[in-house]
Order: sequence, then C-alpha cells, then structure tokens
Amino acid sequence: MSSNDHSALDEAIAEVAQAESLMGGSSAVVATTGPRRSPLTTVAWILPGTIWLLLFLIAPLVMIILVSLWERTPVGFAAFSFSLDAYGRIFETSVFLDTLKNTIFRSLLVTALCILIGYPIAFYLARCVKTIKFQIALFIVVLAPFWVAYVVRIIAWLPVLGRQGVINYFLVEVLGVVDEPISALFYSTFAITLALVQLYVLFMVTPIFFQLATLDEAAIEAARDLGATPGKVFREVIFPLSLPGVLIGCIFVFVLVMGEFATVRIIGGGTIQSVGTLVNDYYTIPDLPAAAAAATMLVAVMTVGVAILLRFSKIREVV
Amino acid sequence: MSDTGLVLKDVYRVFPGDITAVSDVNLEIENGEYIVFLGPSGCGKTTTLRLIGGHDDPSSGTITIDGELLNGVSPAQRPVTTVFQHYALFPHKSVLQNVEFGLKMQGMDKTAREQQATAAIELVGLSAMMHRKPRELSGGQQQRVALARVLVTRPKAILLDEPLGDLDRLLQMKMRVELRALQRDLGITFIHVTHNQEEALSMADRIVVMGDAIIQQVGTPTELARHPRNEFVAKFMGDNNVLHGTIESASGGNVIIATPHGKVEVAGTGKAGDKGSMAIRASAVKISTDAVPEVNGVRVRLNFVEYLGDSIKLHLDFNGEPFLAKVDEERFGEVQAYEGKEVTATWSVEDGHLLEQ
Repeated sequence: MSSNDHSALDEAIAEVAQAESLMGGSSAVVATTGPRRSPLTTVAWILPGTIWLLLFLIAPLVMIILVSLWERTPVGFAAFSFSLDAYGRIFETSVFLDTLKNTIFRSLLVTALCILIGYPIAFYLARCVKTIKFQIALFIVVLAPFWVAYVVRIIAWLPVLGRQGVINYFLVEVLGVVDEPISALFYSTFAITLALVQLYVLFMVTPIFFQLATLDEAAIEAARDLGATPGKVFREVIFPLSLPGVLIGCIFVFVLVMGEFATVRIIGGGTIQSVGTLVNDYYTIPDLPAAAAAATMLVAVMTVGVAILLRFSKIREVV
Repeated sequence: MSDTGLVLKDVYRVFPGDITAVSDVNLEIENGEYIVFLGPSGCGKTTTLRLIGGHDDPSSGTITIDGELLNGVSPAQRPVTTVFQHYALFPHKSVLQNVEFGLKMQGMDKTAREQQATAAIELVGLSAMMHRKPRELSGGQQQRVALARVLVTRPKAILLDEPLGDLDRLLQMKMRVELRALQRDLGITFIHVTHNQEEALSMADRIVVMGDAIIQQVGTPTELARHPRNEFVAKFMGDNNVLHGTIESASGGNVIIATPHGKVEVAGTGKAGDKGSMAIRASAVKISTDAVPEVNGVRVRLNFVEYLGDSIKLHLDFNGEPFLAKVDEERFGEVQAYEGKEVTATWSVEDGHLLEQ
C-alpha cells in the first residue's frame, strides 16, 4: 500500500473522530491517542461498514437520482435518456411545493413536540429514578409501544379519535357539548401530528436519556457547591450538557417524519398529503421519474435540514 | 473549644450496612492553616472532607466554622468550597465562565463578576487562556482553573481532594510550591487530601494521618517524620523500622526491650513484662563492619542497594525480616561492595523511640 493511501485513511479516521466528537463522544481523543494499528487492520475495520453503506445507501441514492433524470415511458422509464422533464412535471403545479412546505412544517412541529414531551420523560428516567434497576425497568415500559407493529399503532388511534371513538363519545354522549361526532378528529392534521409524536417520541427520549444518564456527576456537584440552586444547576450545567442528546433526537425525529408515508395515508384518510404520499402517487400513476425526482428533492431537503442542525450544534460548541 | 477556625467534634460517619467510614474525629483547624489529610485509600480521609464540604452528613458529631454550626447546611450555603478530584470543570463553559460561575450564582452583575473572575484567572497565571474551553487546556492548567473557580468566591476554607493526583510528577512538584505559596498569600485555610506522604510532608502546616476510619496522629511534618506515635503511622510514613518485643527492664527514663533483633534501649517508660514496640528511622541507622554491640545493633545481610540520587536506601534482611537503612549518596561505591554480604546495623538510643501500643 502506498503512503498516499495511508494518509487518506488517516484523514478518514480523523473525520469520523471529528464527527463523533461533534455528536458528543470523547472518542476523538481515543482515536488520536490509541495504539497504532497496522493499515491492513484499519482497512479490515472499515471494509464491512463501507460495503454496507455502498450497497444500501449510496447505490439506491444514485439509482434514484439517475431515474429522476431519465425520460418517462408508459411502463416506467427509458434508461440513459437524460432530461429534466420529471422535475418540470413535479414543479408544474404548486402541489409538490406546497406539500413539501407542509411536510417540513409538520416535521419541525413534531420534532419540537417530541422535545417538549420527550425531554421530561428522559429527565425523569435518568435523573429522578435512583436505582439502575428501576431505570431499566421503566425504560423497557417506555419502549413497550415498539413491540406493537407500526400499522397497528397507527390504527389504534381509531378507537380514540374516530367518529365512534372515546373522545367523540365523551363530547356527544357524556358532556353533550356537540350534537354529532366530529369526524375531523381523526382525518386531520391534528390527528396526524398526535400520532406522529406518539410514534417517534421514543427516538427523542432514548438519546436524551443516555446523555443525561452519563453526565459528569462531579460537575453537577461542583455547581451545587458553588451555590447553584437546583433550577440553576439544570439551566447552567445539566441542560447544556444534554444538548448533544437532544440534537441526535432531533435528527432522528426530523428525518423520520420528513419521510413519513403510512401514518399520513392512514390517519389523513387520503385528504392530507406528505412528500411520502406524493411519491407513492407518482409511483402508482405510473410516473417513475417524477417519483424519483420527488424523492430526490426530499433527500436534498433532509440533508440540508440535518446540515443546519449540525451547523447549529457546532456554533454552540456542544461538548 | 475554640471560637475561630474549623472544629470537628466527635464526628462519626457510619454508612448503611454498619460500615464505619469515619470514627471519633476530633480536630481543631486554625484559620489560615494548611492541613493535609494523609492516609491509605479507604481510610476515611475523603469522607471527612465531604463531611466538611457538606456533600455528606455526619452520623453524629458537630462541625463548626468560626463558631457557626455547619451540620445540615447545604454545600452552597457553607463558607467552604471544594476543588474536586478530577477538577469537575464545566466542559461547555470557557475558563472565564467557569471561574465566574460562583459569583453568577450569588447574583453578582456581569461587569463586577467578570472583573473579579479575570483577577482570579490572572492570579493563577491563565490570562492568555481566558476564552478557551477546559478540553483545550493541559491537566495543570485545568487544575488552576478549578482553583481560580473556588478562590473567586472567597471561601473561609478550600477543600482539595487529591488535587495533584492527575498530574505527572514534575508538574506535581511545581504545583506543590505554587499551591503553598498561593495559600500563604491568601491566608485562606486549605484542607488537602492525599495518599502521598512526600506531598503531605512538603506542603502541610500540620498533617492529619488517618487510618482505619480514625485519626492516627496529628502533627507538623517534622513531628510525624521524627516521632510517629504508633506502628500505623511509623509504617505509613515509610522508611521506619518497627521492632516488637517484651519490655525487660526500665530505668532512668529508658526501657530495654527484648526483640528478635536483639536488645534495644529506647527512651520511655514501661513495665517489665509488657509488650513494647519501637521505631527507628532508616536514616538514623548506621552501617558498618564493626562487631554487633550488646544493645541497638543487629547483624544483617545487605540484600540490595537502591540509589535514590540524593541518598542510598539499603534493603537489609534480618532472618527473613526486612530492615531499612539510608546513607549518604557519597557512600555508594563503598556500600555497593557489600551487596550480598553481612553488615552491622546500629543506632543510638536517642534516635529510637517507643510506640504506643
């Protein structure tokens, strides 16, 4: 192996380490001061991940981008017939752009709600529950919804929000504040938001929980020693140090909600769109290049969103 | 009981499961004293420090500072502040933000606290690093930030838990002098916990030796080095030989103890037939090829010569028991020739001293 390859590998390792330190780990130090491995060992370590990424991330992405640039035919697409027609078609009307805006807004809203609901849960688990045994037990309880199939979790909202659901029953039969059941409870953006928060709040709870559970207790003790009240300990020390966890949670939730398709379809009942459902629509027409173009736009927006989040974290210099 | 200074009276700390961490601690610390708690790990020294700092509560007994009872007072409200073992700096705050933290918590306005924090940072010589994050500093620099962070709140006493433990040896030596000089300048009580004898001897006004949850001895460095009170202190301070035996006779302020190492004479009183132990410092032991005297002398084998730079430590062997001597560095060639051979170790009556049983 030439020395050129060495430095390229070293750079790659350094980049990974930098990315990890950005995400809150102290592995940067480990990576740069650890024992020197032979280049061959390094390659062996990197290879499986690289192959995995190539096969399951890079290759599909390249395929989608290629298809989006190819001409549409009645049964699919004509390979290597490059044109930007598919992008022209999706931007022909305001449907795609409006849906994209709505999807972004919905993702930000759900992410914000997940922070508001998830942070206290994570805080309680990590800092109020004293024994590790109870922490783990409660964490498993929090994870319980994940044991139920995704679609079932969505449909489970029907008995709650549906026309004959619990809420309508109370409103009509018990309280009598409305004359007839409100169908908008279920087929609405409200219901979608609610269901999405319930579906994804755990992706916020988990990273925050682990961040809070591994905080440097001595720093907290030092803050108290220097006269900080519990509120100030939280604001000055605990919260800033938990931000890497919040950041990772935000990336999870934002990306997952941006790509959402089934929840919107089922709970929205066909009246509400997301970029995901639009892609599905294009696919069934069938207009595969348009579907690919829409998907490419989605990936681009998500990448920009995550980049902004990471940039934000860098400005704050989260440790 | 004194009205000024820090006073610990009948302090006990018993952990659940009947584990006594601190027992029967009585101690008066004058304002402005540099006190070092010295002992092996698990001896109760850190627990005692936590009790003073308010990070743990005594099971019984009282702790007062200038006559004011500290029991039940939160760490934040106590006029004492702790420098934690691994500094416990706030990793997300700059040096300046770390140092001004205590003042910010007191509600001081921004300009005033920044001014005072800047002065404290200057005091520890880190003005150039004011806006760096802790992770961008070396261990020694982090330690100074930790110091500045507590100094700025002007506590009556500063508690330091193994403050030099994370530093390499050369830096330790440098920080010893700096810490001591800083403490003298400020006139604040420093209470420093360590397991390093040399560190304790070089820094303390008084050393509190702890072992097995109790105070074994309190004294100045010279008192402890020259007159360890009991076997624990003699052995822990290092370079002491402890001889056990039975008191044979007592006369004229001296006792004669019959030990497996022969008869030894030492100043003190005792009753014939009682058990007696004495300690003799390695540096007071003389090595020669003379005949063994009747008292205070043994024939030993010189196992190993350890060159220490400024002195030579001789590892001697008496019937399988270790015996230590320390001689001048200039004698290296002479003593090395005797490695593996028999020599005579002697000491004078006034260099040995009787230990409490």
